[in-house]
Amino acid sequence: MQVFLTQVLNGLQLSMLMYLLAAGLTLIFGLMNILNLAHGAFFTLGAYCGVVVAGSTGSFWLALLVGPLLPLLLGVVLQSMVLQPLAERGRSTHLDLALLTFGLLFATAGAVEWVFGSAFLSIPTPVALSGHVNLLGISYPVYRLFIIGVGLAVAVGLTFVFDRTLLGATLRAGVDNRAMVAALGVNINALFAVVFGLGAALAGLAGVIAAPLTSVYSQMGITIVVETFVVVVVGGLGNLRGSFYASLIVGMTNAMSQAYLPEVEMFAIYALLIGVMIVRPQGLFRNVERVA
Amino acid sequence: MSALEARNLHKRFGGLEVIANLNLTVPPGQRRAVIGPNGAGKTTFINLVTGWLSPTSGNVFVDGHAVAGRPEKVTRSGIARSFQRNMLLEDLTVVENLRVACQAFHPCRRVFWRSKQAFATVIEKAERAAERMHLTDILAVPAKHLSYGQKRQLEVALALCSEPKILLMDEPAAGTSPQERARLIDLINGLPRDLTILLVEHDMDVVFATCDLITVLSYGKVLATGTRREIQDDPTVMEAYLGHRHAGD
Amino acid sequence: MSNEVTMARTSTAREGITLASQVRRATLVLATAAMLGALALPWLSASYATTLAIEIMIAGIFASGINLLLGGTGLVSLGQGMFLGLGGYGVGIGSTVLGLPLWLSVPMTLVVVAVLAAGIGAVCTRTRGVEFLLITLAFSQLFFGAAIKLRLTNGSDGMSGIPRPDLTFLGLNGDNPVVFYYYVLIVTILVAAAMWRIVESPFGSILAAIRESERRAAAMGYAVSSYKVGAFIIAAVTCAVAGILQSQYTYFINPDSMSWQLSGEGVLMVIIGGTTSIVGPLVGAAVFVLAKQGLSILTTEYMMFFGIFFMLVVAFFRNGVVEALKSALWSKP
Repeated sequence: MQVFLTQVLNGLQLSMLMYLLAAGLTLIFGLMNILNLAHGAFFTLGAYCGVVVAGSTGSFWLALLVGPLLPLLLGVVLQSMVLQPLAERGRSTHLDLALLTFGLLFATAGAVEWVFGSAFLSIPTPVALSGHVNLLGISYPVYRLFIIGVGLAVAVGLTFVFDRTLLGATLRAGVDNRAMVAALGVNINALFAVVFGLGAALAGLAGVIAAPLTSVYSQMGITIVVETFVVVVVGGLGNLRGSFYASLIVGMTNAMSQAYLPEVEMFAIYALLIGVMIVRPQGLFRNVERVA
Repeated sequence: MSALEARNLHKRFGGLEVIANLNLTVPPGQRRAVIGPNGAGKTTFINLVTGWLSPTSGNVFVDGHAVAGRPEKVTRSGIARSFQRNMLLEDLTVVENLRVACQAFHPCRRVFWRSKQAFATVIEKAERAAERMHLTDILAVPAKHLSYGQKRQLEVALALCSEPKILLMDEPAAGTSPQERARLIDLINGLPRDLTILLVEHDMDVVFATCDLITVLSYGKVLATGTRREIQDDPTVMEAYLGHRHAGD
Repeated sequence: MSNEVTMARTSTAREGITLASQVRRATLVLATAAMLGALALPWLSASYATTLAIEIMIAGIFASGINLLLGGTGLVSLGQGMFLGLGGYGVGIGSTVLGLPLWLSVPMTLVVVAVLAAGIGAVCTRTRGVEFLLITLAFSQLFFGAAIKLRLTNGSDGMSGIPRPDLTFLGLNGDNPVVFYYYVLIVTILVAAAMWRIVESPFGSILAAIRESERRAAAMGYAVSSYKVGAFIIAAVTCAVAGILQSQYTYFINPDSMSWQLSGEGVLMVIIGGTTSIVGPLVGAAVFVLAKQGLSILTTEYMMFFGIFFMLVVAFFRNGVVEALKSALWSKP
């Protein structure tokens, strides 16, 4: 029973990490119809920035704050100066933009390897969050609870923004009818750049948060991208709430199979994706009101 | 036996009933127009008849046989459709567009080891189809380089390649110039008399010049069916188009 | 429409036809020269060029399979690497585990791949566009994971000792790189010829129609899904052929041969070379392999330059090198 509870919490922690990545990806797709394969690059960059900041200042919290900034900037620049102009020129279809981001993913992995080498790096767990705590009869690492907390906080925050604020309403409108929103005087390009940047920042945040737990290496973005896409597709492309539930499903599946069925661990989630595609290609949560 | 019959057709999207108990019968060889204000369900009706949507309940019959399922099956039963927005094979030439259309029911379509040029019957069918539609001069031109009017012609030509008994035309006059419209009228009137035609149109000139009978749809139901005179004199039709206050003026 | 406009259009069409036949003639000349060059290569140059040419041809076959889906049918698959891997592992398992001779294990592998592709294709073609891309990727990752985990495939160490064809009945030694070169050359020519026939056939014309407008093809009366699955099967078998050759070339196969990076490289080759011709994928493979070799000599940071190269090609040479050359050579001054 104790082992099971530990696994559930592990699954939850994994889910929240995936949610940070999936939320950004699904927003970008829902709003702009772009399959951003470079999302992994933002994850990697956030982690490496975090490593640099934590290494030079010794502060995890500063790393947490500064880490997502480079991905944010890169995301805004990428969208406004590369993807948007290409899309407007009409020369590039959505497929081309997806392939372009694919190239960026590899370029980034190569660039960090060039600068940092192929060694595995890490950020030390901050003192305030290290150690274990007694919870429901088991001893569980505080840091993992922190991750769960951050994920839930972001989920609540995003839902609030999209359901209750003007920005959220504008974004939802932009998804439904981009031309109309532009005609109403909203600077739709600025909006998309901001959303892209926000999505990238979330991925960068995930990178910093994951660093104390896992290794930081040049290919970390590449391996995580495919898993994130599984979450996004299962949840329904563009469906923010769906991504949350899908993150839970995929995270739990991962944790449970790691613990109880290690032989199938590598492909459990892909089998899940294929199952979903066969039964409901539009994602499991289509009936949930599309937030973005 | 009617060529086309829609019986108790319903289509609901969530809470919205777009087609509500629609009944329509078109005898063979008739030229029927389907008109109605925006939102009346005209395009939904066409999509239901041609298999792009499935009805919530009700049936469609062609020559007495029930028609159901996907568009490819519907085309097999003898219904063809031209689309409101051109759906041509843009990068292919006019003759190739027609050839592919004419190939659809030919046994050679499953052949993957011999050149398509070897099947002369299909090519001849395509060339004859081009002749009927006055497209012979532009056979080698890629479809994307045609003028809008020529594209509309090709659009209709493609629909006719399946040798349908019933042709559904979805707003063929949309976006055409007056000259093109005149040519369209000639084209429709020049089609074989045994071909049943259902024409969804907003342009009343085209409707009056080509159709024997007019059906008016409103809120997913048939409001009235009649000749030009009967429809023009019908107060309920007026009301549907202009709103409650003008009825009876 | 006035007579002048019609005449102008007809004469432009006529000019277009003459230009097209000029291009065709030039292409024929180039193709013959390339063929003669390919036939004579081992005699003309060092063995390094021969091994490079073998790699180009294997990559070209892989890219041709991808292009049947991409350029031929409009389906972008990021998972064709799984079929390359299945081809290689098929002969690997057949030869080293089951002890079968090649003339048995090769056809058996291709049949198994075709059957798997039918099943996978039936599932994948239920989606389109972005979802199709992702589900092909997912299937590919599934097989990748299986290759790493299964004891049958020797895990991430891979399988070695994969035999080359036994040509002793011709008095030839398959281990000789020159002999292997001609073997691969013959297979490449056969694959290219087969691709050409398929594209020119009625079946190929239906795939083109599906690419141009799937809805129109359905409205014409075609059972679109069946044709998509058919294309998927043929593409899978083609990629498996590349995989078989690859494993024979290196006597070895491992899970890296089915990574999604490999699938991405294949798509890049197709984009570089151009999707509209049979020879495009081969040209793209050549450019890619040569660039990769050149880059690895110049720098150790292959991945970064590969990524940048990929982005530039997608942004500026979307129609591929072949098309860019054509328009550069034949554009009116």
